[in-house]
Amino acid sequence: MAFRQQIEAISGQNANLCYQCSKCSAGCPMAAWMDLKPAQIMHSIRLGREEAVLNSKSIWLCVGCETCSARCPQQVEPAAAMTAARALALQNGIQPGVKEIGLYYNGFISNMRLNGKIHDASVAGITQLLTGQLKDNLPLAWKLLVRGRVKPPPLPLGGGNFRRIYKRAMEKERGGEEVIG
Amino acid sequence: MNYGYYPGCSLEGISVEYDHSIRSLFAALGVEMTDLSDWICCGTLAAPSMGRLLGLATPLWNVAQARRAGYDQLITPCSACLYHFKNAAKQVKENGRLRAQVEKIIELPLDNPTPSIHPLELFSNNGFETRIKEAVQRDLSELKVVSYYGCHISRPAEVMQFDAPENPQSMDRLLSWVGVQSLDWPGKVDCCGAHLSMIKPDIVVEMCTGIVDNALAAGAEAVVVACPMCHANLDTRQEEIAERLGRPFSLPILYFSQVVGYALGLEAKELGMKKHIVDPVPLMLAKCRQRQVQEAAA
Repeated sequence: MAFRQQIEAISGQNANLCYQCSKCSAGCPMAAWMDLKPAQIMHSIRLGREEAVLNSKSIWLCVGCETCSARCPQQVEPAAAMTAARALALQNGIQPGVKEIGLYYNGFISNMRLNGKIHDASVAGITQLLTGQLKDNLPLAWKLLVRGRVKPPPLPLGGGNFRRIYKRAMEKERGGEEVIG
Repeated sequence: MNYGYYPGCSLEGISVEYDHSIRSLFAALGVEMTDLSDWICCGTLAAPSMGRLLGLATPLWNVAQARRAGYDQLITPCSACLYHFKNAAKQVKENGRLRAQVEKIIELPLDNPTPSIHPLELFSNNGFETRIKEAVQRDLSELKVVSYYGCHISRPAEVMQFDAPENPQSMDRLLSWVGVQSLDWPGKVDCCGAHLSMIKPDIVVEMCTGIVDNALAAGAEAVVVACPMCHANLDTRQEEIAERLGRPFSLPILYFSQVVGYALGLEAKELGMKKHIVDPVPLMLAKCRQRQVQEAAA
């Protein structure tokens, strides 16, 4: 399957609808930090520039605010295409373009697998530890702790439902079973 | 109407005061809701980043559970959870084969999943206007705030099906019912940077600086929010924002449920107001003129 079609199968987004008006790039609050702006990502998908898209910082910097999707005159959702590109990058074993954000996503899913829900303080703490930012955040962590906003981590007992969903979904995905776009 | 309640992970952790204020507000207005049992995290952007099926099955497990429990609507106070519920439900509604794949994974039917609804959508509905106005116990007419909606209350419109994506009004309307002045300003639907606060705080500080700058320029004494991430980013990063802005300031960030609850006579403590980094209580005390509505009317 061509790259554009792979993105479409995962996201349901048809990049060929994009006529490069660039409203997505103009409104994107992350564009200033992105190497490829959202309209460039959409165009690169059309051109089959798989490596450029999957190795970009942009797909990891996108926080899914959906400003692009809300303003697209063609009803394309660039944010959904970004998410699909992240999934493809991970499935292809590509190192995330922004390493720290990749670590965060991994930590998030690992935490969900423990208990079904996430323990936000653990996710933040572990991510910050791995990215060398823990020390900077300790004063804030203390302020939250004394205000009763950090609860102790739960015993990893309640994740059964999510672990089952995760196993089945990832088996299907990895098994190359056709995922309908 | 049989309401289920999905607090989401943040409201059990860093945003516990949002949970307190939502529960207190529902009780004050006599609207009953029951906690959804066996809920799991909505998966936010992390689950769909692992693959499409995981990204759909994770949120849909919750709305399918809500249907099984017999709820007509699922109260979802976190805008991010709300978006992922609505978006996943829309995708499987439009694609029967995809729905069948997800049903196999979660082993629950998805022919009629329970719709999720933000408590702001519930209470800003005109049906509540009289009930809320009549329940007001505190005069907050001197309080000037800006309503900050953030990303997912109404965006994207095709998914959220509520309010206007570029200039929403629901929170302004609800706050006006309890007498608060909700000012016009250009930052209503800007993004706060969400989870990047944990990983790339410099980016979040820059994004929040713009929001705070606009709020202060409009003359706001507080920012009112409806999302745990908007709250966390604006409330916890004010020292860095002040540094970037080049001038000191202190701007309380309040949940809409706290402001409305306070106007209805609930105490700061039961609304979780003492848990914020920037203490909003002195502002509320200064702006509030206690009054008995009945006396005033007499």
